Amino acid sequence: MQIVIDGKTCDAKRGEFLLDIAKRNGIDIPTLCHLDALPGEGNCRMCIVEVLERGRSRVVTSCIYPVKRPVEVLTNTPKIIKMRKTLVMLLASRVPENDMIYQLCEQYDVKPPMRFTKDPTEECILCRLCVRACEEIKLNAISTVNRGITKKISTPFDEPSDTCIGCGACAYVCPTNAIKIHDKNGKRYMWNKSFELLKCEKCGEYFTTRENFEYVNKQLECKEPKILCDKCKKTQAQENLRDIFSTYEM
Amino acid sequence: MDDERKVSVKKMSDEKITTDISFTKEILTKYPKEQRYLLAILQDIQRHYKFLPRKSLSMVQEYFDIPLSRLYSMATFYKALSLKPKGEYVIKICDGTACHLRGSNIIIDEIKKLLDIVPGDTTRDGRFSLETVNCLGSCAAAPVVVINDRFFGKVTPSKLKEIIEEYGGNGDE
Ligand code: SF4
Ligand code: FES
Ligand code: FES
Repeated sequence: MQIVIDGKTCDAKRGEFLLDIAKRNGIDIPTLCHLDALPGEGNCRMCIVEVLERGRSRVVTSCIYPVKRPVEVLTNTPKIIKMRKTLVMLLASRVPENDMIYQLCEQYDVKPPMRFTKDPTEECILCRLCVRACEEIKLNAISTVNRGITKKISTPFDEPSDTCIGCGACAYVCPTNAIKIHDKNGKRYMWNKSFELLKCEKCGEYFTTRENFEYVNKQLECKEPKILCDKCKKTQAQENLRDIFSTYEM
Repeated sequence: MDDERKVSVKKMSDEKITTDISFTKEILTKYPKEQRYLLAILQDIQRHYKFLPRKSLSMVQEYFDIPLSRLYSMATFYKALSLKPKGEYVIKICDGTACHLRGSNIIIDEIKKLLDIVPGDTTRDGRFSLETVNCLGSCAAAPVVVINDRFFGKVTPSKLKEIIEEYGGNGDE
């Protein structure tokens, strides 16, 4: 099956999501709550596009819209841009001091309205990517809490979670950098919990929490793991390879 | 008599919180281990204890082997569930469109005057809780107030005062 996106003919499989097809063909659609590793949230609606079919146009959410028929897609029509502007305006009202959303405001030439009361400390746009990431590692330390205007992301009872290992996956996937990790004096502090940081045996840099290190090695069934940071692990692997090759050469 | 009553209510809720987990156990055995019964179970627990005790939540968590974060998310999402003890009498004031237009805010203010609580609060003696709800489907009788399962229509401030007095009034007075 073939579909046309912004005039470009693209191959597509039935049921494939529009966003994925566009991406594969180098067509840029803005997203906030989508990561290839954590697809399907469909919360932010930044990825809206227009689908033309049988002479009618519809606005769809491209990250969760499966193509079923050969259609024509427009990703940047005045209508779409106007809607994205509204979205950006609302996001900016929610997280007025956030850099990422501020950049979007500049890009879309949006001025946040004055009539909403704003919380300058709020940085979360409730996209839920962090919750998904935590789910995916099977820790489930955080979830959405409350509903409506008091909705937020937190641990149960806002207390240190039993299952949190301080891995930082939630902060890593966050599109607005809302989750803060404080590393100081060999300690990591996040989600109201503090963790001991481990130093790399080789370079001596702090690189992860003890809980994370142990969890990962347990998952990988690694019996006597070396405490190495990613960089040193890579160099070590290279050295090992070199050793193998040099024995071959002999 | 009021004092006596206050003490007994307080004692009851304290005891419930600390000791009586047998009811939670009982509920769990009544339902199959399928997650679609989660909400029903939480509702049963809420009905019995007038809130969701932490102990009960961890028992439910263990029974279904699900993350606590998921339960907590549910418990904070549904208005019918609460993590703080609810009063003996839960006053629900409808603040749906019809009731709002017919002055539900005056009723809310009146409750504040009578019992010194705002929506979401429970009186200190644990007797009354106040909630607002969105349309009870009896708009013709607006404004509507429901106390536990009893229904009151066309409520006025003076009528409200009578009703609250019928339930024992403000214990602090
Ligand atoms: S903290 Fe970040 S990742 Fe989590 S919901 Fe908020 S914006 Fe999304
Ligand atoms: S990226 Fe599609 S809704 Fe957020
Ligand atoms: S609005 Fe109160 S019953 Fe409908």
